[in-house]
Amino acid sequence: MWPRSLQGQLLLGIALAVLLAQGISAALLWRAQVERREAALIHTAAIRIVTANREATEEQIERRRPGSRLLAAARQLRIERPDASPLRPGDAREHEAEEELAEILTNQGMEIASAVVVHRPLGDAPRLAGKLARQAALLGEHGRPQPDHLLVAAVELKAGGWLLVRVPVPKGDPAIMASFIGQTLLLFALLLGAIALIVGRITRPLAALTRRLERFAATRAVDGQMPPEGPDDIRRLIVAHNAMEGRIAALLDEKDVMLGAIGHDLKTPLTALRVRIESVEDETERAKMAATIEDIVRSLDDILSLARVGRPSDPREPTELSALVANIAEEFEDMGEPVSFAPSERIVVPLRTTWLRRALRNLVSNALRYGQTARITLTRENGFAVIRVEDDGPGIPDADLERMLEPFTRGDPSRNSVTGGAGLGLTLARAIAEQHGGSLRLANRQGAAGGVSGLIATLMLPLG
Amino acid sequence: MPDTAPIRLLLVDDEPGLREPLAEYLSRQGFAVTQAASAAEARSILRDDAPDLVLLDIMMPGEDGLSLCRHLSEARAIPTILLTAKGEAMDRIIGLEIGADDYVVKPFEPRELVARIRSVLRRAAKGGGNGTAVEDELFEFEGWQLDPLKRRLTSPEGALVSISSVEFRLLMAFLEHPRQVLDRDRLLDMVQGREAHLFDRAVDNQVSRLRRKIEVDSRNPTMIQTVWGGGYMLAADVRRTKAPA
Repeated sequence: MWPRSLQGQLLLGIALAVLLAQGISAALLWRAQVERREAALIHTAAIRIVTANREATEEQIERRRPGSRLLAAARQLRIERPDASPLRPGDAREHEAEEELAEILTNQGMEIASAVVVHRPLGDAPRLAGKLARQAALLGEHGRPQPDHLLVAAVELKAGGWLLVRVPVPKGDPAIMASFIGQTLLLFALLLGAIALIVGRITRPLAALTRRLERFAATRAVDGQMPPEGPDDIRRLIVAHNAMEGRIAALLDEKDVMLGAIGHDLKTPLTALRVRIESVEDETERAKMAATIEDIVRSLDDILSLARVGRPSDPREPTELSALVANIAEEFEDMGEPVSFAPSERIVVPLRTTWLRRALRNLVSNALRYGQTARITLTRENGFAVIRVEDDGPGIPDADLERMLEPFTRGDPSRNSVTGGAGLGLTLARAIAEQHGGSLRLANRQGAAGGVSGLIATLMLPLG
Repeated sequence: MPDTAPIRLLLVDDEPGLREPLAEYLSRQGFAVTQAASAAEARSILRDDAPDLVLLDIMMPGEDGLSLCRHLSEARAIPTILLTAKGEAMDRIIGLEIGADDYVVKPFEPRELVARIRSVLRRAAKGGGNGTAVEDELFEFEGWQLDPLKRRLTSPEGALVSISSVEFRLLMAFLEHPRQVLDRDRLLDMVQGREAHLFDRAVDNQVSRLRRKIEVDSRNPTMIQTVWGGGYMLAADVRRTKAPA
């Protein structure tokens, strides 16, 4: 549910904050409105009471005026003069309102003993309710808002007796809430739109930069660098990234040039040495020298290959793997080595043949070196071409299996000086498998008697 | 070669550390060796003299070995063996395409170099001249395709099929003589390349290896058939097409 992207998180966070702020201000506004309405009602009640009080004193004088009786009757609807307090048990008195009412009336010069303000339902004064309903029916929507209940305000005059007025309390206006929600939505739209725009300006170049980084990590090609865009911070990030890319590419190029130079500069004197030992008279001595030179050359090749394996220059081509494996097996056969390859079905895999040959040769030489024989099989399993090279050697302690694939590691250290090589064979084979999107695993083969009867190297290459 | 005039070699390499001992070794092997330290020096020697074979280092300051090699192959038709420090496939293709007859990868075994020199000269003497670099045409048979120049064999499905150099020459022999019975001696003769030790290798073995790579069922071969009375025959029509540039 929680968004993972920068844009999503920012937008959600801001939306929540805005919602909270709007909620608080809505509550405050609502309260202010209610208070204002309350005050207005109290004022209305106060004015009526003052008017009624004044009229009471003038009534005797004006009694004879024509039509006055009708008027008085109309007033009777809203003003009563009960003898006792209108309070009933269970009435919730509005103390604040009572004080306010008392204060207004006192200011108007009325002498009151006490004030009572309570809310009552419309049914409390059926005649008034009937009149209000008729009025509403006549005026329709143009009239005052429908009353919800009545505010009953009464004061006890110091002169004795009570004055009571009923003021209809209008229903809470839903239009106010609606306009408030509308306002909130508009605010949302404006704010989120603006933020989406700004954040988009930041995240678009960021996303492009991420794609670019992923591509560079995969290909290490400098071409297609991003032009700086977006806000200044992002712009600087892109510029810095481009500079770093250039630096990495330059380092890699430098490495290639250096390796080329090493290859050339070492191989030429090695060739000279190889030529010079031909003049050594002693046959065995000469053979030993030749073997040593060969070891150096092999190590050099392995090191150079390992350094280049991550940056192959040749493309992959669909290649018949069975023919290629057969080819390698036959090479060893021709040297009189006990290598066998069981005929297999034809499997076509996109390969860099030069590299894969090298990996296979390394696996087979390793099997021959430590296991005396090499049996190769090729099968198709779950979308992979699987090459297994098995030997009959002592295997490798389980704890060391993974370590064997690390550079410069070899089993049976006592034999290092005899077998030669820098111990890069398996490392290189694994790197080549990975270069093709595959993997290399070593495992001990369990014999019938329960002990380890050899090592299995499994090279897996994806078919697609 | 005691009875004939010594074979004359021109050795071009900018590294005196290698050039001198190599020249010395080759002289001991009975060759008459002239040395050149650069392509320019080689050109000036070649103006007055025509050696039987040129040994050419690829990586040299100034004009490199490849450019001189092209000149030798186009203008002089002198067999050339490239000495290269790189063993990658690209170099091999370039080397053979520009007209070199063979190449050795440094550090090479001196004896192997001598064997290759003899092998190239033998092929040149047979009139093949440039033995390895065939005309730029493709052979097509039963959906298969062989590019002799790049030594690429592709299956009807378009997949690259690895074949050894002996298998390549064996296949070339069949493709150049389709539907003809070729007996073992003839095949051996045609297949002989730089591998001097091929004599003790049975042709049958090579044929069975080739079958393993191109036949649908190598135990019931249909393309390369065994002919009673000693020999093999390619039972397929071969079409030659011009290789795309």
